[in-house]
Amino acid sequence: MYVPKKSKFDPDDNGHFGIYGGRYVPETLMPTLLELDKEYAKVRFDKNFWEEVNYYFNEYVGRPSPLYYAKNISDELGAKIYLKREDLNHTGAHKINNTIAQGLLAKRLGKKKVIAETGAGQHGVATATVAALLGLECDVFMGEIDVKRQELNVFRMKLLGARVHSVKSGSKTLKDAMNEAIRYWVTNARDTFYIIGTVAGPHPYPMMVRDFQAIIGYEAKAQILKKEGKLPDSVIACIGGGSNAMGIFSHFLDEDSVTCIGIEAGGKGIDTQQHGCSLAKGSPGVLHGQMSYLLQDDDGQIKEAYSISAGLDYPGIGPEHAFLKDLKKARYENITDQEALDAFVWLSQKEGIIPAFESSHAVAYLKKMKKEELENKLIIVNLSGRGDKDMVQAQTLIDID
Amino acid sequence: MNNNKIDKKLVAYITAGFPDVDFSVDLALSLKEAGADILELGIAFSDPVADGPIIEEANLKSLQNGFKMQDIFEISKKVSCSIDTYWMGYFNSFYHKGIEDISQLAKKLGVKGFIIPDLPHEESVPYRSMFKKLDLNLVNFVAPTDDEARVKEVVKQSDGFIYLVAYTGITGQGVDEDLTKIIQDIKQDSQTPVYVGFGVNEKTAKEKSKGVDGVIVGSAFVKVLLDDSLSKIQKITKISQIASNIKEAINS
Repeated sequence: MYVPKKSKFDPDDNGHFGIYGGRYVPETLMPTLLELDKEYAKVRFDKNFWEEVNYYFNEYVGRPSPLYYAKNISDELGAKIYLKREDLNHTGAHKINNTIAQGLLAKRLGKKKVIAETGAGQHGVATATVAALLGLECDVFMGEIDVKRQELNVFRMKLLGARVHSVKSGSKTLKDAMNEAIRYWVTNARDTFYIIGTVAGPHPYPMMVRDFQAIIGYEAKAQILKKEGKLPDSVIACIGGGSNAMGIFSHFLDEDSVTCIGIEAGGKGIDTQQHGCSLAKGSPGVLHGQMSYLLQDDDGQIKEAYSISAGLDYPGIGPEHAFLKDLKKARYENITDQEALDAFVWLSQKEGIIPAFESSHAVAYLKKMKKEELENKLIIVNLSGRGDKDMVQAQTLIDID
Repeated sequence: MNNNKIDKKLVAYITAGFPDVDFSVDLALSLKEAGADILELGIAFSDPVADGPIIEEANLKSLQNGFKMQDIFEISKKVSCSIDTYWMGYFNSFYHKGIEDISQLAKKLGVKGFIIPDLPHEESVPYRSMFKKLDLNLVNFVAPTDDEARVKEVVKQSDGFIYLVAYTGITGQGVDEDLTKIIQDIKQDSQTPVYVGFGVNEKTAKEKSKGVDGVIVGSAFVKVLLDDSLSKIQKITKISQIASNIKEAINS
């Protein structure tokens, strides 16, 4: 049974990973966060809580997800490549791991209402799903632009019984959806649980969501050891807020022989203004309750991020990634829209697996790796989600004939 | 303390530099004339999560209008000798300039201190001694969600005034809450004046000022700033009139 373990990268008592993380929120929310911190400390290693989480992981989500040996692309690249198939989870991505656990925690705290922010709609759908399952009232905040772009996911959330709030402020995308979710939370702090979708936000969220997603790394490590009898040389995952990456990295960070590589959204190129590379091009600052790398101007105003993939279109990054970057414990690279699209087609046609645009960024990096990083090497790519949600957009971008 | 005469204070928030520096300076001086005791110069931020729709819109418009931090420095230089001036902004606006640098600058410009709604007690600890050294006040927030122990923790080191949030919510909108208990909790642990903010306007000021030492008014003024049907002079006149009415109401 999966139960998280203490990590040497755990934050301090106030949630600081080095200078990053923390709790930068209005005082109104502090009692709520302190209570959550206390409650999470009680369940973090509690067998009863994790028995319940594991029950849903296995019976509802369909865990463990396979670690699939992708022979065709392996042959092409001369490496041994395994795909961690989070795309096969119920609702189509890794997001559900986190929402199941947070939903159970909300119930335990006696909260009957949950809220969530969403960009592409995957976290919104995963939250609405869990709310339906556990009998919780659910409100999802989504930028007006994303509501239009992701009509199908809006319908899915409504079908699952959630209310979807179209956010009209600011850039009308994920960043503003999160602002609005926080405002709603401040107003309803006493009876509402905020299910944050990634390893970001005020403490204890970054650590908590990492623990919940670390099931990915826990399984992957056991699976690769069983199949190959050794650890991988590298583990690759895409990064928006960073939860699927944190999830798979967590069980490999202690292994010096393994290189963890996070892939940011390069958008139209890292030298343009249109990308989502907070680690590569940002600087430390405070947004949405935490300190981390941010895309910001010379006055500290937050810039809008850009990516073809709505799930990576965020100007910040989880604080633990910022910490790992500074410590050089993980490596961070980026992939452009075009490279991701090429990989989307490549994996579909080579392996019969259609990845989400987000995960396509991680897949694409395989093609950019140096020869010595590939030859006879063992590599795991976290396939964080499936591409079904991207079909409409893909149709307009790719000419297949 | 003079117990016979009521002397409740009025803290006035304006979105600084909106629509321009000269207007803010004129408005600040006129507010002073109208009875405002403290000026909060609001720094527009791209992601103002503690603010309701009115101040949020003013933030956005101000940024679209080209607001820069430089504006607030210029306004402060011109008004800080006439009225006690605080900088109110989200932490990133300060952090990005470097807390030490911005503190030195604030001191130089005659600013009294900072009001930072997303810098709770725990995160403020590393900066407190520097503020203290420069005699700058970092205003503490108390929220209606705080229990007695939390209030004690938050107010034990209070400078300038204590900002009591009137209800669980964001600025300019919300449901009134009974603050009697929390005011008692604060008064038990601190001598620092307590001013109540959030949702204070001409109609609510008298009621909200009960048991506290003053009120903080923001959205009621900013609403006028956003009214495109008014000229600059009309805006200043109207805002000053509201300020004067509120000052009278809380002291009647």
